[in-house]
Amino acid sequence: MSLHGVIAAFADPNALTQAARAMRDKGYRRMDAFSPFEVRGLAEILGMPRTRLPWTVLGGGIAGGLLVYALILYSVEIDYPVNVGGRPLHSWPPFTVIAFEAAILGAALAGFVGMLRANGLPRYYHPVFNAKTFTYAQGGKFYLLVEAADPRYRKGVTKGQLTRLGAETVEEVEA
Amino acid sequence: MAEAVAARAEKAVPRAPVLRGRHDFPEISGRISAIVLQGRLPRFFWAAFFVCFAFVLLFLYSITYLISVGVGAYGINIPVAWGTMISSFVWWIGIGHAGTLISAVLLLLRQPWRASINRFAEAMTLFAVAMAGLYPILHLGRPWFFYWLLPLPNTHMHWPQWRSPLVWDFAAIATYATVSLLFWYMGLLPDLGVLRDRAKSRPAQLFYGILALGWRGSAFHWARYRTVYFLMAALATPLVVSVHSIVALDFTFAITPGYHSTIFPPYFVAGALLSGFAMVLTIAIPLRWAFAVEDLITLRHMENAAKLMIAAGMIVIYGYASEAFFAWYSGQPYERAMMAQRAVGPYAPLFWIMLFCNCIVLQLLWLRSVRLNMPILFSIALIINVGMWLERYVIVVTGPSRDYLPSSWGEQSLTWLDFGILFGSLGTFFALVFLFIRILPAITIFEVEELIEEKSGAA
Repeated sequence: MSLHGVIAAFADPNALTQAARAMRDKGYRRMDAFSPFEVRGLAEILGMPRTRLPWTVLGGGIAGGLLVYALILYSVEIDYPVNVGGRPLHSWPPFTVIAFEAAILGAALAGFVGMLRANGLPRYYHPVFNAKTFTYAQGGKFYLLVEAADPRYRKGVTKGQLTRLGAETVEEVEA
Repeated sequence: MAEAVAARAEKAVPRAPVLRGRHDFPEISGRISAIVLQGRLPRFFWAAFFVCFAFVLLFLYSITYLISVGVGAYGINIPVAWGTMISSFVWWIGIGHAGTLISAVLLLLRQPWRASINRFAEAMTLFAVAMAGLYPILHLGRPWFFYWLLPLPNTHMHWPQWRSPLVWDFAAIATYATVSLLFWYMGLLPDLGVLRDRAKSRPAQLFYGILALGWRGSAFHWARYRTVYFLMAALATPLVVSVHSIVALDFTFAITPGYHSTIFPPYFVAGALLSGFAMVLTIAIPLRWAFAVEDLITLRHMENAAKLMIAAGMIVIYGYASEAFFAWYSGQPYERAMMAQRAVGPYAPLFWIMLFCNCIVLQLLWLRSVRLNMPILFSIALIINVGMWLERYVIVVTGPSRDYLPSSWGEQSLTWLDFGILFGSLGTFFALVFLFIRILPAITIFEVEELIEEKSGAA
């Protein structure tokens, strides 16, 4: 069995944040943390780059709006023009109403799908669930995971460092 | 000056807290998920569910009857070709809007009290929109062709009439339903992870495991999740306003007296919030009592919802007043006659009951003792629900029944089918709410835990 990493449990979010910062200062780069709710600022400490998801959402919105507007324009100008008393075929005020709804729909879909994609979800299997001390559901614990693939990872050394940072339990996780 | 304010604040009765008592994380996630996982619901829960289920059967029977006989089977006729189908549609959509307001707008405004009620408010939105969406489709002469409203290539090679508010309506409702579903499911993801890990039986583990999509609470996931969740809330907010404005435009685009008014979009949105918060209270008051979660859904929530009701209600009253004022000020005899007919014509009793429910009963909510008295608050919520349904009905039918030519005046009479479908849809709505409480966590676990953490951090 290969080793995925080592996971340490902490009693509260502050302890987890401090430990993450300390491990980062020691040069560890391949880490992950788990908590029952978002611990603010933790992802930045772990070295997450600024997410580009807002641009995905904006792009989805623009694409949705433009696509539907183009569809309407095609239908009234090219495919089936109907002249009603000489009124303009391109009556943009009503068309923008539908394009607005389509923009919201496109943005929301892009956001949801983009979030799942960026997070690598849905995911059927993840090694962290092999850890006996890890329970996402109980909600009382906050975990820091250092991957064995981290160049700084040394069996025993890393475990000791985590224990000294105040971890309640430290456990090796199989991949 | 500042001292005086501070002194007054000290003397004032302290507001009920958002969460009552001391809690820790395992206790919260255990208690909330136990409602779902233990599956031992009180007997009255199932009794109430089966009563609702009987109405589901009524709903199915009524729809079948309607489709096989035709729309003439319920109370519409010329000149009043819009009846309860349209008024119930507007009513249901309005109810949905309060859920989005709670989950999206209060999230953007960082109101901590939304945490324990947003989940079921969003579920309420979803089910209300599902009910609302059925009505205009059933109102079509041939409901099975409803997809003609979509720009689909079909044998007729035709396109929808993009300039028609009814087509906008279709786009708005479809978008609203989809975005509400996404927002709700996204909010559920972390809690589905909790249920997956807490479930004991294999089928439950599989069910929640598949739905949770492998959520494990990683810090990276949370950061992206939070970003998108806030953006979705920011998208849902203008969406809600646009949806009910478009519903209002269904009316204002017609030159019928009583329909053709610029006050309609904002006034409909305010009405939606009033009826929506009434429905939130209608569900929340029995829910918190039945499942003994009065320390999570506290009096603070009830009071805030009541305050929002009176805020929205006062805008609605302003809408009534300005509608009447402009009918008179326009100097148009038809508009004036329509307003007068509302007050003394064939639908006058409904009009006065509506004013009593929405204007007079509502004023009781100014009293703090009323806002904190659950039985009274519950009764007021029911009365407002009725009043808001009547409002939509009065708007829908009085205009066409008294238009320009007295020779084309006429009334409609309701048949059993109007009530069969209305009460059937109510039963279906509540049956869905019961199933939701049984299958999914009705209170957002991770947000309540976050709230506890913030509270303990501050103390």
